[in-house]
Amino acid sequence: MLALVLSSVPHLSDDFRAYQLGTYLLYGVAAQGVALAWGRAGFLPLGQALFFGLGAYSAGMVLIASQANATLLALLPLAVLLPAALAYAIARLVFARQYVSGPNFSLITLALAMLAAQLANQWSGLTGGFNGLANIPEIGGLDRYSTMYYLIVALVVASTALLGWLYRTPLGALWLAVAQNENRLQFFGFATDRLKALAFALAGALAASAGALYATQQGLVTPQAIGFELSTELVIWTAVGGRFGPYGALLGAVGIGLLSAELRDVWIHWQVAMALIFILVVLRFPAGMAGALQTYGRRLWPRSWMAGEEPLSSQSAAAPNYLPAPPRNRAADTSTLEPIRLEFNRVNVRIQGVSILSGLQLHLRGAGIHCIIGPNGAGKTSSFNALTGRLPLSDGDIHFSGRRVSGLRADTIARMGIARKFQIPSVFSALSVRDNLCIALWGNRANALQLLQASTWRWRSTLWEFLIASFPFLETESDRHAGELSQGQRQMLELAMTLLMEPRLLLLDEPCAGLSVAETGQQTDVIKRAVTLIGCTALVIEHDMAAVARLSDQVHVLHQGRLLASGSLADIQGNPDVQAVYSGGQK
Amino acid sequence: MDASAVTLALNLIYHIAVLALVGLGLGIVFGLLGVMNMAHGEFIALGAYAMLAVQNHGLAPGYGVALAVLGTAALGYPVERWLVRPLRSRPLDTLLATWGLSLLLRKSIEAVFGRQYQNVSNNLSGTSTLLGAEYPDYRLLLIVVIFVGFALLALWYRRSPAGARLQASVANRPLAQAIGIDVDRQACVAFVCGVASAGLAGALLAPLVRVEPLMGMDYLLDSFFVLVVGGLGSLSGLAAGSGIIGGTQVVVSTISDQTGGYVAVLLLSIGFLWLRPNGLLARR
Amino acid sequence: MSPLPHSTTAGLVVDNLGGGYGDTIVLRNVSLSLAPGQVLGVLGRNGVGKSTLMRLLTGFLPLSQGTVHWQGEPIGNRRPNHNRALGIAYAPQEGLVFDALTVRENLSLQRPDWRSLEPLLTSFGRVRERMAIKAGVLSGGEKKLVSFVRSLGEGAALTLLDEPTEGVQHENIALMAQHIRQRSDAGASFLIVEQNLSFLMSVMQRVLVLDHGEPVFQSDRFTRQALEHYLRV
Repeated sequence: MLALVLSSVPHLSDDFRAYQLGTYLLYGVAAQGVALAWGRAGFLPLGQALFFGLGAYSAGMVLIASQANATLLALLPLAVLLPAALAYAIARLVFARQYVSGPNFSLITLALAMLAAQLANQWSGLTGGFNGLANIPEIGGLDRYSTMYYLIVALVVASTALLGWLYRTPLGALWLAVAQNENRLQFFGFATDRLKALAFALAGALAASAGALYATQQGLVTPQAIGFELSTELVIWTAVGGRFGPYGALLGAVGIGLLSAELRDVWIHWQVAMALIFILVVLRFPAGMAGALQTYGRRLWPRSWMAGEEPLSSQSAAAPNYLPAPPRNRAADTSTLEPIRLEFNRVNVRIQGVSILSGLQLHLRGAGIHCIIGPNGAGKTSSFNALTGRLPLSDGDIHFSGRRVSGLRADTIARMGIARKFQIPSVFSALSVRDNLCIALWGNRANALQLLQASTWRWRSTLWEFLIASFPFLETESDRHAGELSQGQRQMLELAMTLLMEPRLLLLDEPCAGLSVAETGQQTDVIKRAVTLIGCTALVIEHDMAAVARLSDQVHVLHQGRLLASGSLADIQGNPDVQAVYSGGQK
Repeated sequence: MDASAVTLALNLIYHIAVLALVGLGLGIVFGLLGVMNMAHGEFIALGAYAMLAVQNHGLAPGYGVALAVLGTAALGYPVERWLVRPLRSRPLDTLLATWGLSLLLRKSIEAVFGRQYQNVSNNLSGTSTLLGAEYPDYRLLLIVVIFVGFALLALWYRRSPAGARLQASVANRPLAQAIGIDVDRQACVAFVCGVASAGLAGALLAPLVRVEPLMGMDYLLDSFFVLVVGGLGSLSGLAAGSGIIGGTQVVVSTISDQTGGYVAVLLLSIGFLWLRPNGLLARR
Repeated sequence: MSPLPHSTTAGLVVDNLGGGYGDTIVLRNVSLSLAPGQVLGVLGRNGVGKSTLMRLLTGFLPLSQGTVHWQGEPIGNRRPNHNRALGIAYAPQEGLVFDALTVRENLSLQRPDWRSLEPLLTSFGRVRERMAIKAGVLSGGEKKLVSFVRSLGEGAALTLLDEPTEGVQHENIALMAQHIRQRSDAGASFLIVEQNLSFLMSVMQRVLVLDHGEPVFQSDRFTRQALEHYLRV
């Protein structure tokens, strides 16, 4: 439909208008890349014109060179692929060690764009310097003032369709999850730095292809196409147009861009006003113009295409031909039959002189539930952090079924079959309950291709059915955003998600915190039955002794960073050292 | 002693000192308070433009410095109160909002002063001979002012009761509140001082640099990389970062060119993000 | 379990207090009163809401139900930095000291004169020995001592202590109890959250036991045996 609207412009208006529109449509495609990185995957590129300009300059050079030697035209795809590869590399480099986003990425991309502009000015032999690369021929014999417009429209339609499709795939949901809770997503086994790099590479590709067409449409590429000002405008257009979908960016670039071009010379304060509008949008209207349109469209025509999308996974709910999920992958050579072994060997963790774990020595074998108790500061959650790569060890090591686990990344450890549930329930708040469950199910199961297929949304497993039966709200509230659930429901949801991974080692940190007595009973029931179903080992940190009694007869007491006692609950209760620790007095 | 070696050394010292001066504002606002102020460069620019405005009206430069400091401080208060404080727990939104502010300030400067490069005259344009090398007076004055200023600042921060209170509210906010420190007011005052020091930096540097609306960008990036490398939250981190970044810039640009220096700084910063994500001497 | 008699204007009066984090209510239905010179011990296992109670009383968390009155004035939902002016001192469970400042600076931060600290420093020689050392390198127990000296040194009418003896050596615990008794004899009130029953038995006149976020026992007559039962694993 977009194609129709856009193609009709030259007929309705004149060729010059179409030419202008074409330029801003190209900016719009670049802005769609910004929307992908920012609105969807949650990181803000402040130097996106770098890729636009790279695409423009390289396409320009190839086209100029091809006038002498037509076979060089085969190099044209490189004008898109090389910037995309560069984008991937930059993102991998910057995101490698993080799981909390900071300003680093934004400022580095800004610095790179400014550097590129400097180089474009300096290397005048290559780029034509300040005056730019001129006399770029028209591509494929198209006339830049008339027929080339349709090529641009084709790009716009293709990019919009591509993004629209991608946003609906499981990968699209994963990007949203990265933006909402990157830390948690890693614990499902997803390499979030690669997910973000993929998004940035695609954004780079979009910008570069837009840049390539820009070069041939304008016939001239100056350093303005690669520098700071254009990068900033791309962010502004995306913000004001709407960053959450592919149409918003187009709307912003075309609407605001064209408007700016007209008003910039007429009204000297237009740009100041634009800055104020940007601040206003950032503070109050994060969904931009597209968001506003959707809200009104939803009110006026509730069932039209303007009403926006339903929660992603509900498309599949309508067609309940579920597929059995493939079995979970195993990242190593350990066979299923080998009993599970977990060993903490004299683990020491010291942070700024404070001892968090002091020679923690704990060996566990075989399936079943083990409870870990101890007073505050005993090191219970810290032992989980050390096990899952969130706390570096000062000394000692941790082994899981023969493999050294200490020092590995969180997502690697998750792929080894270790699942963790957090003390404060941590889910993807802006995704629906069903989306949350799907993501948990895909962890360590879905390969890259399957993440692009709609059928992956229909995966279910026997454990899924069991969990739906145990926690009915997972089905009845499946379309609700996870953030709207009550605290108790979020606890249960996160438990369900952790269990769906069918891990070999299950780490539960206070799974009953904040639950009423009845809910605690429900929760412990599910844990026990699920552990038997999956056949895994579970380590459960708990304060609630009633829950501990229901769950297990193997209890370990931690105190001041080391193991104080192990045994059955009765043993522990009769142990004077343990009682002393809990009720004060001599030790 | 070889005159060119002395000149190189002086250049190095000057460059590091200027980086520290420029970075101080961001060191306070981002390093200490945790607010990524993307408009940091624009506050510096405002300081420079204050000197220009004063010069255009035929007044003495002293008024320019006063205007720079007071003007940026006056602007800093509403920014802290209504832009930064409500977004205290949302760092990405703070970055966006201050990016918008930077845009606003830049475009306002353009609207009032125009886009062209301008100059602020240098009243101290002579040179002196130091250890056999001739060096511009104004730069020498700046070096002295910066070193003395930092020494005083460090003394104040480490020894005075007010400095201790500031350290306390930044290091352990709940405890600071428990003993009666008004942490919100502290944060406000610190922010205002941060942007005012940026304004001061702009005013002091104005006679030596091109004054144009985009001048702030390079300062923002330099300051950010200084903090990434040196570490957030301490004066020594700022000093260490300035030393390393400044040293790299001077050495590499002497060998290749200024753009080479830029690239080297970028690579160095990315390296630090990898190996020592908290910088060299982090305290936050 | 009958509530304790209220005294209307003096001291701390808490009525049906409740609160938590986000949409989770962690603590509910807590009522208590504390006259000048009284020491109240709050007992309970981990996770029952003791620290939440402290945070609600000191203004670090908003009240979702109930009221708190101090010397006749309602003080719930005040900003925490007002406590000092109100005559309330607070020693939190974590984040006890300012790591980057020396012990001396920690103690002198908001204080015009040192005389109130002298008797405390005489008792806790360890703290006096470490005056010039950065508080961050002290052991956990030593930090608790510094925190104790600091909070008692404020000489406040109401002092709230959250697990003051955790990690502290036995001899010093006895000294802490001594100082608290001295202060309360002079008219200061104390509200102490603790898991160390022996310590509490030597200072408190009233006890409040929490479990699962609710008060389960509250009295000024209690035995050690009965209280131990509540703490049992």
